[in-house]
Amino acid sequence: MLASLQSRLYDLVRRDTFLPRFHFLAIGLLGIMLLLLPQLTGLVLVGLFTRIFVLAVFGMSYDLLRGYAGIINLGHALFFGGGTYIAGIVFANYGTSPTMLGLAVLGTTAYAMLAALLMGKIAFRRGNVVACAMITLALGEIVRQIAESWRAVTHGADGLTFPIPMMFRDRVALYYYALAFMVIMMLALRQFIMSPTGRVLLAIRENEQRAIFLGYNTASYKLVALQVAGVVCGWSGVMFALTSRFANTELLTVQQTLNALLVTIVGGTGTLYGAIVGTAFVQLAQHTLLGLRGVHLIFERWLLFFGAIYVFVVLFMPTGIVGLYQRLISHWLKPVKPR
Amino acid sequence: MDTFLILLVNGLADASLIFLMAAGLSIILGMMGVLNFAHGTMFLWGGYTSVWIMARTGSFWLGALGAVAVGALMGLVFERLFVRPAYGKVTAQILITLGLMIVFTDLARLLWGATPLPALRPAVLDGMVAVGGVRIAEYRIFLIIIGVLVAIGIHALINRTRIGMVMRAGVQSPEMVQALGIDISRYFTLVFAGGAALAALGGALYVPLVGSVWSGMGMENQILAFIVVVVGGMGSFIGTAAGSLLLGLMGTFVAWFFPPAAVVANVLLMAVVLVWKPAGLFGLEGK
Repeated sequence: MLASLQSRLYDLVRRDTFLPRFHFLAIGLLGIMLLLLPQLTGLVLVGLFTRIFVLAVFGMSYDLLRGYAGIINLGHALFFGGGTYIAGIVFANYGTSPTMLGLAVLGTTAYAMLAALLMGKIAFRRGNVVACAMITLALGEIVRQIAESWRAVTHGADGLTFPIPMMFRDRVALYYYALAFMVIMMLALRQFIMSPTGRVLLAIRENEQRAIFLGYNTASYKLVALQVAGVVCGWSGVMFALTSRFANTELLTVQQTLNALLVTIVGGTGTLYGAIVGTAFVQLAQHTLLGLRGVHLIFERWLLFFGAIYVFVVLFMPTGIVGLYQRLISHWLKPVKPR
Repeated sequence: MDTFLILLVNGLADASLIFLMAAGLSIILGMMGVLNFAHGTMFLWGGYTSVWIMARTGSFWLGALGAVAVGALMGLVFERLFVRPAYGKVTAQILITLGLMIVFTDLARLLWGATPLPALRPAVLDGMVAVGGVRIAEYRIFLIIIGVLVAIGIHALINRTRIGMVMRAGVQSPEMVQALGIDISRYFTLVFAGGAALAALGGALYVPLVGSVWSGMGMENQILAFIVVVVGGMGSFIGTAAGSLLLGLMGTFVAWFFPPAAVVANVLLMAVVLVWKPAGLFGLEGK
């Protein structure tokens, strides 16, 4: 029975990683295009893509929870905003030397691990999705409220403006750093999912009861997933600090968490790269719609479209863009089955 | 002693409002297994509707009535169109109701603007009343009375009527209810719309208390209601009432005696309850 479960899990992982041969070609072309992009276009698009890279890591960290461990964490923004704030506070008060960048990253890591530990201990206590969603939402709100009321350090609702280290001030350089950051984080998360721990997480998502019967302490595995997702998310927050040079409490709101949730759903949950596709789609859609605000003022109401996309995708496209694509591919191209 | 009395009344009034919101949320969760993230949106729309009607007609009571109607209508439409396709899919329901929350919160912002609007108390209840030498706002006493009345009403509905009987049975075993030939989906719609109407009433009564209505208030109060449901135990009516009382009283007392802790007190309470009794104070084990 264990063997059959393992082989089913193997199939799941294989399906996630399975790419027809021409995908490598497509990804290669995309990679070259992304490397050349700053030479070909203006700073607006470079900035937009830098954002996409950073937010895609935020989305992937969320996908690890939602798509692999089956956790709906509605307080995920506390890791992201926390990273941005920690970096901002360090740069604003202690200078922008490389040492300080290291300190910001270390501080964010420690904060994210501690926050994930506390969050997991409280939220996984009840052991179901609904309770977890409610509790994480409340915890996220608490962090936002603390940031809002701790004005001496965070400047409250006004937001915190800060300088960034020299090496990141060039927009084009920052673009490449962000691209590298995204690729490295994606490979690292992939590695984590392929590890024995990652497979147990898949088992928990598919059938938590069965995983418990097999003798796994599922709560502690979920805690590990939350720790990993939290730390990666915190780092993406630090990267975000480098792109925005500004932090405000918006970064800690439920809306910020929902941004990550939306990109994983739009892209396709449980695939990691779905989060990248989703982030690119959502950011480009937002950029385009805001560009249309001259046509009609309704296009300024991004949240209206945001929510509508949300409901539409959940109701009619539950597997997201990647899932839709895979269905079309398997329908038309009949790829070689793995194994 | 005077301070104590004032804080007690304030806390009970807050508890009433939290209860109006949490009662619907808890029953919907217990009976239908739906965590309704759009619940705070009904609260928000209730608040805006009452202010809007009051500005046009001058009547607070018409405003409250309109809020209840709008809330019930929204609940009806949401359940029929969006929640029903996803029964049994917990995650999808959470996501869909989250989407509705975003759309309708932003719609409220579009209709009534991003800046808070002033909300007035009805003239009849705007005064102060002296209780044992302490002056207490009439409006707060009114809120407490409404809270108690609604609690008694829900209790009677659940325990004394046929609808309540089906609801109780539905919490325990929806399949069995259907096997007995009762169309439970009609009761689902009824409960969803009823819960939404209660939340909208809560919103309509809340805005005169704080003096304004703004688009973020739905989420803020929804979080309180969530904490109540977690603390009290999902689907438990007594638990919801007890949780609302606990949260309302604790909120006022902590804010008075130790303001810095006001932000984290609710969550600390939730954490303590979860560690001590993971199913909530009145929750059924394994529910």
